[in-house]
Amino acid sequence: MPRTEPENDAALLRSVAAGDAAALHRLYERYGGPLFGYLYKLAGDRMIAEEILQDTMLAVWRSAAAFGHRSKVSTWLFGVARRQAHNRLRGRAFPDFVPELPDVPDRAAGPDELAIAAAGGTPVAAAIDRLPEHHRDVIALVFVAGLPLADVAEVLSIPLGTVKSRLHHARAAVAAELIAQGVSE
Amino acid sequence: MNEVPDEMSCRIVELLPAYAAGSLPEVDRDRVSAHLVSCARCRADLAAWQAVAVAVSPEVDGAPDREGPPPDPAQLVRLVLTRSALDPGGSEPGPGEPGPGGSRSWPARHLRYLAALILAEARLIRLAVPVASALVMALGVVVVLAGAAAGSAASGPFTSIAAGDLLTLIAPIVAAVGVAGAHRSRHDPAAELVAAAPTSGRLLLLARLTLVFGYDLALALSASAVLAVTVSSEIAIAGMTGSAAGLDVLVGLILTWLGPMALLSSLGLLVAVRFGPDVALGTVLVLWVLRVMADGGLLRDGWAARLILDAWTTNAAVLAVSVAFGVAAVAATGDSGPFAREPRTGWRATHPT
Repeated sequence: MPRTEPENDAALLRSVAAGDAAALHRLYERYGGPLFGYLYKLAGDRMIAEEILQDTMLAVWRSAAAFGHRSKVSTWLFGVARRQAHNRLRGRAFPDFVPELPDVPDRAAGPDELAIAAAGGTPVAAAIDRLPEHHRDVIALVFVAGLPLADVAEVLSIPLGTVKSRLHHARAAVAAELIAQGVSE
Repeated sequence: MNEVPDEMSCRIVELLPAYAAGSLPEVDRDRVSAHLVSCARCRADLAAWQAVAVAVSPEVDGAPDREGPPPDPAQLVRLVLTRSALDPGGSEPGPGEPGPGGSRSWPARHLRYLAALILAEARLIRLAVPVASALVMALGVVVVLAGAAAGSAASGPFTSIAAGDLLTLIAPIVAAVGVAGAHRSRHDPAAELVAAAPTSGRLLLLARLTLVFGYDLALALSASAVLAVTVSSEIAIAGMTGSAAGLDVLVGLILTWLGPMALLSSLGLLVAVRFGPDVALGTVLVLWVLRVMADGGLLRDGWAARLILDAWTTNAAVLAVSVAFGVAAVAATGDSGPFAREPRTGWRATHPT
């Protein structure tokens, strides 16, 4: 997560609003990595994450003028990304490797193994991917996007206390899942 | 002494997720580091957060870079700009910040689009057409005014009749020629561009018609207004009074040309859509000459002469027929404009393959 000076970001966004494509390029260079990581976590698929990233940058390009400078540019960007992700992911069928509920009835071919493989091999990652969406969102913003907790609260439009409690609930759920599987955290 | 570390522990515990994520400001980071040295419980807690952080970080968990690097900046920006150009209608506001770009409602956006369309069409119209229309109309007004000045002082009614006679001839032909030429042809320098435009040909034709007919309507109205002022001032001099008289004169003048203008223009348009602008121009001119001849008694008095004189007026029937012609013309245009069914002039808009 680049901790760049906010004035610099704001100036960059103003240039984007004025139609400067080079400024959009620089903004993406600055935030593309964290944004993509966050979207990948939400989408669970590289192709879809790339599409949402494109949607996000298109929305930024079109509505940079609407940025009210009431929040940090980074917060605004993640807010736009989150919204685009919800637009695209809304109503899609649950992907096989990210079941929303940990206790869905067994599917034919060992869902746990599938989930672990898809999540990159570690049981913790698999357990996180099984979390409900609002928990995954917080985890992704804190640990993948690297946003400070206060910014996460702003992106999600929830109180800081709720961010903290969701984090703890998410971790507890992961721990419970690992214990149920007999893996020690 | 027990309470202080506990209370501190409490506050430190809250910072541990951000500490594990690496998003803590330096001051807090140092504080947490110092605390961790002496607090086993917080170290255990941190280890749990670090397990989460490591699990979700892209570079680790056995399969490095499983999501891969983010898309190449140059490529992504190019894609975004292309999409923005191809779909100019969309406007997606930021979260909670609708702003000027996003708050525009549906009708406002469409009105803006139509205005832009008409503006774009205006750029495609050759300057000669509106200038010539204005000159012809101005010439007509000058002729009537000169005639009035040359005539006697009490020529009010005479001027009124002369003005009406002249407008009923000039206004329709000016508008009809403009409208007949408004249908796009292969002569149009922008023909290829228009054929490739994603906007429907029907909409483009409507935009251009609005522009041309609206302009000619405005011209005829201003000419009528100028003449009405002159005529009513002459009437006033002749002893008759009232601004209501002026308004009557204006309405009377408008009625001399409104019906013929609508009918001749819509007929010209219909012919243009079916057979191309050249045939339409010919048709319109022939009808106009016939009307002039019939009026001057040069046409043998028969049903044709009577029909054309009867039709050259403003009434509900004439206006209804005009509207029907106009609707038929627009309907016949089709979505792909004049190029779906090329005008039957023997020419083709595209090269034969």
